[in-house]
Amino acid sequence: MDLNFTPDELAFREDIRQWVRANLPPEISHKVHNALRLTRDDLQRWAKILGSKGWLGWGWPQQFGGPGWNAIQKHLFEEECALAGAPRVVPFGPVMVAPVIMAFGSPEQQQRFLPGIASGEVWWSQGYSEPGAGSDLASLKCKAERRGDKYIVNGQKTWTTLGQYGEWIFCLVRTSSDGKPQTGISFLLIDMKSPGITVRPIVLMDGEPEVNEVWFDNVEVPAENLIGEENKGWTYAKHLLAHERTNIADVNRAKRELERLKRIAKAEGVYEDTRLRDQIALLEVDIVALEMMVLRVLSAEKSGKQSLDVAGLLKIRGSEIQQRYAELMMLAGGPCTRAFVSEAMDAGWQGDHVGAAHLAPLAATYFNLRKTTIYGGSNEVQRNIVAQTVLGS
Amino acid sequence: MDFDFTDDQESLRDAVRRWVDKGFNFERRHALAKAGGATRAVYGELADLGLTGLVVPPDHGGMGFGAVEAMVVAEELGRGLVNAPYAHAALLTPALMAAAPAPLQAAWLPKVADGSAQVVPALQEHAARYRVLHVQTRAAHSGDGWRLSGHKSLVPAGDEAEAFIVPARTAGDDDSSEGIGLFLVESGADGLGVRGYPTQDGARAADITLSATPAAMISADAADALMLASDIGLAATCAEAVGLMDRLLAITIEYMNTRKQFGVAIAGFQALRHRVADVKMQLELGRSMSYYATLKLGEPTPQRRRALSQAKVQLGQSMRFVSQQCIQLHGGIGCTDEYIASHYFKRLTMLETAFGDSLHHLGEVSDRMQDTAGVFA
Repeated sequence: MDLNFTPDELAFREDIRQWVRANLPPEISHKVHNALRLTRDDLQRWAKILGSKGWLGWGWPQQFGGPGWNAIQKHLFEEECALAGAPRVVPFGPVMVAPVIMAFGSPEQQQRFLPGIASGEVWWSQGYSEPGAGSDLASLKCKAERRGDKYIVNGQKTWTTLGQYGEWIFCLVRTSSDGKPQTGISFLLIDMKSPGITVRPIVLMDGEPEVNEVWFDNVEVPAENLIGEENKGWTYAKHLLAHERTNIADVNRAKRELERLKRIAKAEGVYEDTRLRDQIALLEVDIVALEMMVLRVLSAEKSGKQSLDVAGLLKIRGSEIQQRYAELMMLAGGPCTRAFVSEAMDAGWQGDHVGAAHLAPLAATYFNLRKTTIYGGSNEVQRNIVAQTVLGS
Repeated sequence: MDFDFTDDQESLRDAVRRWVDKGFNFERRHALAKAGGATRAVYGELADLGLTGLVVPPDHGGMGFGAVEAMVVAEELGRGLVNAPYAHAALLTPALMAAAPAPLQAAWLPKVADGSAQVVPALQEHAARYRVLHVQTRAAHSGDGWRLSGHKSLVPAGDEAEAFIVPARTAGDDDSSEGIGLFLVESGADGLGVRGYPTQDGARAADITLSATPAAMISADAADALMLASDIGLAATCAEAVGLMDRLLAITIEYMNTRKQFGVAIAGFQALRHRVADVKMQLELGRSMSYYATLKLGEPTPQRRRALSQAKVQLGQSMRFVSQQCIQLHGGIGCTDEYIASHYFKRLTMLETAFGDSLHHLGEVSDRMQDTAGVFA
């Protein structure tokens, strides 16, 4: 047992740190550190910077042009990016669909799609949830009918994050209604410029159009865009879910936000207030405990000696912690968090703030993060999965 | 970074577990508790396994192992609900004796290592609560050596011990970190009163009164050593709690899969299943922070103290949550003395107060907060 990183791992981290410091545009990290609004251009600019270094697909093996890092190196990379104030990489291309294309796509599909994902040129979206299929994803109804060398897609997807920018979307579609719901699902890649697709933003309670409804009306999709075999899509989707294990906890972001919480509390003169300070201390303990759990998973992956199936626990705890720091920021912020001046969340805005500038985005962050215990398999569904493992029944 | 145990550490774990399985079942534990909590015989069996010499240096007859091995043993003793004062007598005492003059070490450490002497630290004073350096007991030097006067409380298995390690002031006021000496007092010494009593968790403790009692000085300036010993005890407490929680959850799972109500095993009810998931969460967070506590014991003092306090905050929460929920998941049988779960519950409850409770350590974490935080901060 050893808590310390090896000299090689420390040297790796230092290299990453230097590179991020030199290449992350300060106007972007300023926005991230202060929770100001990120534009499409900000997100894509950082993606392309990573892409040009070959690190947008930081989890990819070398055979597909990735760096071939192990679990600990990936973690260190994610940590350095998060602490430096890099925006979260929009995961749908490099983290979610790419591993599926690598594992189940044809060589032609790999050559066609992976380069655009690796470079950050092509913006991908995810078409999973539907109005009638949330936690019960397998009940999805969006239908793809094979006609000759095409699929005709009809139906609706929803909660498509940043789908207003999407150029391609990977979808779970129903190709059969025989047997169990899971067995009639296929994994289809769809060009969002195809005729018959309508994207309608959904404004969330923070006032931001972060997610979308996507409508498919007789959309023609070439059959060559099917991943793997028809009706095997559920298996591929599960592979994708299993792929994301530790980053799901988002502990590095939590560490960065804890620093912001302390800055806010100090600036508002409440950091020495025992009642608030002890709550911050408790959150600090929660974050250290979560980080230790993440490190245990990484160590188990590295050595292969122990098996540690705690992905559900990481998701539950990580999401609770995100909500908690947002809550404590509101408590630290006080009454001026009530003002809703939308432009005050844009970098460089010169208008009059209500109270300090750092108060402007606090409510929006708090509102926005309510999603974390709901998406990616609600925490209640995660508890079902954990209980199944623990009880063995 | 690596959280694997070595093969030797796994063998050590197996050895303790085998002894528990063969020689320390619940019937024996229950009978010992009902008889007042005396465990000198149990301690002798741990000595036969070599465990009392675990961290004693080899030149004094011990195995010279480190913190990870201590954690492994503490976890397994927790799992087995073993009520002997292992952490105090076998882990803290050798640490406190490390600064003793060579003749004193030579006289006592071999006996500590082979278990023929059970030497327990007497660290707690009534008024101290969780302030390790609050010491009212006084030490005075007279012609024939040191004599101590004062009162210590909750000394583990105090009426079964051969000797005590006692902090006493040679100078300074009650809370000063200066002027705390550390002394060894033999159980038959003049002017020593020992009043033993059972503890809530089926073990035994004693209050001791010192009236100009002769003592041998271990060290003259013991504040740092006491803080370190307290942290060693804290880490052992965390590890013991992990073993206790792990076993209590296993007992609870077994019960839920067999107990039927409304015609089905109660493990099928979602309200209970979610509770089990939450228990598993607190157990794994606790296990993670127990590792953290042990692996941070060798850090420089400020980092060590902050980390250990963070660990005890987590473990305090975990112990309370896991023990309470597991009783609830059992229903009525969980509240009875005849059933094993309540004994795990009581031990977990009492460990909250060992080496500082969660509120005390939350205060420590709160006072020591820096701008940045994390495992490596």
